[in-house]
Amino acid sequence: MHRALLPGLASMILLAGPATAADAPPGASSCTGCHAPKTVSDTVIPHIAGRKAEDIVTVMRAYRSGAWPSSVMGRIAKGFDDHQTEAIAVWFAAQPE
Amino acid sequence: MATRRHFLKLTAAAGLAPAVVSAQGKARVVVIGGGFGGATAARALKALQPALDVVLVEPNPVYTSCPFSNSVLANLREIDQQQFRYDGIKGAGVTVAETSATAVDAGAKTVTLADGNKLAYDRLVMSPGIDFAWNALPGYDEAAAEKMPHAWKAGAQTVLLRRQLQAMDDGGLVVLSAPANPFRCPPGPYERASLIAYWLKIWKPKSKLLLLDSKDAFSKQRLFQNGWAELYPGMIEWVPLSQGGKVTSVDPATLTLTTEFATHKAAVANVIPPQKAGAIAAQAGVADRTGWCPVEPVAFESTLRPNIHVLGDAAIMGGMPKSAFAANAQAKVCAAAIVSLLAGARPQDPIVINTCYSLVAADYGISIAGVYRPDKGQLTDIPGAGGTSPLDAVGGLRGQEALYAASWFRTITAETFG
Repeated sequence: MHRALLPGLASMILLAGPATAADAPPGASSCTGCHAPKTVSDTVIPHIAGRKAEDIVTVMRAYRSGAWPSSVMGRIAKGFDDHQTEAIAVWFAAQPE
Repeated sequence: MATRRHFLKLTAAAGLAPAVVSAQGKARVVVIGGGFGGATAARALKALQPALDVVLVEPNPVYTSCPFSNSVLANLREIDQQQFRYDGIKGAGVTVAETSATAVDAGAKTVTLADGNKLAYDRLVMSPGIDFAWNALPGYDEAAAEKMPHAWKAGAQTVLLRRQLQAMDDGGLVVLSAPANPFRCPPGPYERASLIAYWLKIWKPKSKLLLLDSKDAFSKQRLFQNGWAELYPGMIEWVPLSQGGKVTSVDPATLTLTTEFATHKAAVANVIPPQKAGAIAAQAGVADRTGWCPVEPVAFESTLRPNIHVLGDAAIMGGMPKSAFAANAQAKVCAAAIVSLLAGARPQDPIVINTCYSLVAADYGISIAGVYRPDKGQLTDIPGAGGTSPLDAVGGLRGQEALYAASWFRTITAETFG
């Protein structure tokens, strides 16, 4: 699964160039309502900016399938297909922590 | 246009902000309303396009957040923990006009301010929140709200309702009246009933809460009702519309609420009245006969007036509820869309998320989430996504969701106000 995914991610990174906020893929801007930058330390919700794209994709897939238990993330992950999830993951990976 | 977009992309990639110009020189976006929608939009616009002139029009120097204000009623928080200033937004380069907007001229693209100034705009963002439809519920006007607080705009009203609860004798009847849809924060009345019961159970255990409802169903209903049965047995009585729950008039002098079937005398009465978009929306011509503002689902531009975008509680957002999370999420989508539109590009079709936590007790949280996309002219639920917390909580889920709720509040207020 990962082997199939990674070349796709790499090409997207090349195509996207340096990410700017205006280039955020559909859905990405909603995430920061809960997922804060590291400057907000007093939170039990994980920071996602600067995480590896493939790690974000793996977790989102596990949320979507229910393999990984969650509160709201399983319900949210089901709203995104693989392509959309990958685009969001690549974008967050490129954001400063 | 493709060439221009290409050029913009190149300059952005090179780290140079593309110049945005209008007939007047630097493009200006005016934002009316400094809540979760407007304040987020102003910050996001400036962050996405530093060359923009962004003016936020907001008369109050301090914003008092409705989310978590039910915890103030239950003595779990103080009102100053709900309050945020605009210093972070000013620091981000937004001009804050500390006055109210009195008129919008959509044709001339100007906003008239209470201080006499007039602002020209290229794009206008309106996030005016709600106003109350005074006297839509006979007997309930601004004066009545001093006796029977709504506490549905947080601040002095929240403090008043808390003071009334604290002054009430043990054994007193608290009556809460909930409106028909649509209204700000659909689960809010039920979180409020829960947290008042939480507080009554500790301090006034002989008291009861009567929840008179103009609806037969409500958000997170089974989760709330299961929580009430588990935590507050016999304390909360919910009367739905079909059983005579609709309040048809109130008398503030005697604290009585009259329904189609009965009259109830309250020791403390919390009347959440019918609502509409903030008054400036109707003046601007962006509100329809329902009192709310229809928008298209990509940039949230008014379908009634061009170049005016409406966000948050005031707008008709298809399947999205009127929540702070939704307003914040819509604001970020709208800001990116406006930057595209000003550059002559077509905004991308968005996906927008809503997440909303409610507290049934201090350490007992429940949630609802939804994912939305444009479909047939409005924001529509993506099938298969979203929904509420499971009815059977395992592994400390309710406690965990209460912690997530608190973290969410810290994050969204940091993102909105800095």
